[in-house]
Amino acid sequence: MYRVRHTDLWPSHYNLGMWVWLAQRISGIVLVLYLFTHIWVISFSIANRQGQEFNQVMALFQTPLFLSLDLLLLAGVLFHALNGIRVILFDLGIGIRQQKAIFWGVLVIVSAIFAWGVSLWWPFVQGKPLV
Amino acid sequence: MQVVFKVQRYQPERDGQPYFQSFPLELPERATVLDGLHQIKDERDGSLSFRRSCRSAICGSCAMYINGAYHLACNTGVETLKAQEIVVSPLPHLRVIKDLIVDMQPFFEKFERALPYLMTTTPPPERERLQSPEQRRAFEEMINCIQCAACYSACPMVWTDPQYLGPAALTKVYRFVSDSRDEVGRQRLALVDNDHGVWRCHTIFNCHIACPKNINPTWSIQQLKRKTIARRLRFWERG
Repeated sequence: MYRVRHTDLWPSHYNLGMWVWLAQRISGIVLVLYLFTHIWVISFSIANRQGQEFNQVMALFQTPLFLSLDLLLLAGVLFHALNGIRVILFDLGIGIRQQKAIFWGVLVIVSAIFAWGVSLWWPFVQGKPLV
Repeated sequence: MQVVFKVQRYQPERDGQPYFQSFPLELPERATVLDGLHQIKDERDGSLSFRRSCRSAICGSCAMYINGAYHLACNTGVETLKAQEIVVSPLPHLRVIKDLIVDMQPFFEKFERALPYLMTTTPPPERERLQSPEQRRAFEEMINCIQCAACYSACPMVWTDPQYLGPAALTKVYRFVSDSRDEVGRQRLALVDNDHGVWRCHTIFNCHIACPKNINPTWSIQQLKRKTIARRLRFWERG
């Protein structure tokens, strides 16, 4: 058998639905990996004695790098959840002919909640988290 | 109008790999991509192979991948592509037999599995089985399918599941499920209620974008999903 370079696999040829489907898959995998890492980090940090390690780990998560990763997590969760609802609506036979409009609607809601999330996140950057 | 046709060539017994061959052409205004291919075959290289029959977008023979999109070569004006270079390749993800000709066998085998004909259980009436215009409109869109396999070639689920019925066959199933004269709807739903039927569809909508007749197979497949659920809920009914 020969190997064909299928030009339809070039990302420049993808349609909106293809991008959204790929984003849903990739965000899903990333979230599962995050979840297991999260459980592992929390369990090993509290497993020990007087909570010293827990405080160290929490201090690490207050650094700019981890705070910006938090934003990425927020965006990933919001997109995956709301696009998931979009897909469920399709499975129920709702809105299939308006798929693009519904996607942009999902994006608007994701952005709105994300903006709210950023406003809650900002105090952490300034070092004075809300109680 | 001067354009360059870049056509994918492949002859299994001669070539190790498919390759692109360029043909600078002088075409009349309003020429179609099929006209261009014909000019190459008639005047430049008689060995160029492609399928075509009706030249009026009804036989479904000449679906190809042209400049990054699915088209019927016969109803795609070269001008409308707005490009100096027209890249013509066979339908992606299907086995190439020669040049632009792909193996349609798996596509038609799945079509046959979809039982694409009217089936009844009651004896035939004196005259034809009647249908009101409203009943007829329920599958107005689906009967426009010309079985060109553009949707089939565009579907990522078809690429990854060789057993998946695919958008065209499932649309045909819906066409008969929604036909008031058909009397084996529950059996048809049983046929597609599995991993290689409606549940393989992930609503990517590539089939709708690819369809040269502007059918939306994704819509039909989701209607089938709903109906298969309703069938499972009415488990006391037979079939």
